[in-house]
Amino acid sequence: MAEIVAAVCCSHAPGLSNNPPLAQPEQRQRLEAGFAELRRRLAAARPDLIVMFVNDHIQNFTYANMPAFCVGVADTYDAPGPGSERSLKIPARKVAGKPAWAGDLLESGHAAGVDFAYAYEIESWDDMSVPLHFLVPDNDVPVVPIYTNCAAPPLPTPKRCREVGAFVGEFIRSRRGSERIALVATGGISHWVGTPQTGRIDPDWDQWVLDHVARADVEPLARLTWDEIERDGGNGGQEIRNWIALLGAVPGWKGDVLAYEPVAEYITGCATVWVHP
Amino acid sequence: MIKTSYPLNKVLTALVRRHVAKAGLTDDDMTGVELAAAERDALRRGDVAALYDLGANPYLIRRVFRGNFKK
Repeated sequence: MAEIVAAVCCSHAPGLSNNPPLAQPEQRQRLEAGFAELRRRLAAARPDLIVMFVNDHIQNFTYANMPAFCVGVADTYDAPGPGSERSLKIPARKVAGKPAWAGDLLESGHAAGVDFAYAYEIESWDDMSVPLHFLVPDNDVPVVPIYTNCAAPPLPTPKRCREVGAFVGEFIRSRRGSERIALVATGGISHWVGTPQTGRIDPDWDQWVLDHVARADVEPLARLTWDEIERDGGNGGQEIRNWIALLGAVPGWKGDVLAYEPVAEYITGCATVWVHP
Repeated sequence: MIKTSYPLNKVLTALVRRHVAKAGLTDDDMTGVELAAAERDALRRGDVAALYDLGANPYLIRRVFRGNFKK
């Protein structure tokens, strides 16, 4: 039977890769140490595949056609693509997908009432590129991304994200064979970006989120409304939908917060969390 | 539901997908999209607060007008 061998929640922000020295040295050191420990634990888990809960920033999915949930079924993903390598300062690279596996997920989802959209072409911005740059620097593990609309309201509810995550967890555990699957969720925690409050971070709200993740107390997170998140976590805080989906896939698993830093220079409350049984 | 302007977001998305950043847009950048006068004016000036109020997506505002933000 397939097995979930690792689960990671972490932030993404362009500043993490394009100008790390911008951050205060102590903050940068603690945060990069958190990513390094995640990388070490992830490698030790020897995953065959990473299923990534992630969100677009209107790079791939536009207002012309905006899916709530979309599974990547591509052979490879640009993470980043040539157009983003300069701004992210990560060399353009192709990350392998696993289309047959993704297709199984898609079809099983439809059979179970989880109507995923699908995409054969995705160019990642910081969403996939930055976490993979830190977590899988050798680019040696294929990825199946599950995109959730966290950027263009109306957004799927956190409750629905948890349900979709629960389905993904059940799908993995129902598979025959000895697949070793890692889950990675990226985004958040609080940040206001592109709004008149750009640059604001709310460490109190971030700590509230982290405390619930640490206790596996997902229900209050899943009950959050768009308005509550927008008020307390900003438009960037809406990305915790990815974390909630991951937590839905591994009920009862608790978060070990390796690092949390409200990095003003990255305009993001940044965290690295190992989630475990 | 949050206010959304499809024409504004259509103009900005076209630039984001080409990884273009600007301080303000030209008439050429807005060709072919029906915009209200206030929207056209805000795009020309790169006025991030006005664009947000008019229903432009903040991620798109940030990507295109990155240099107009203090942070």
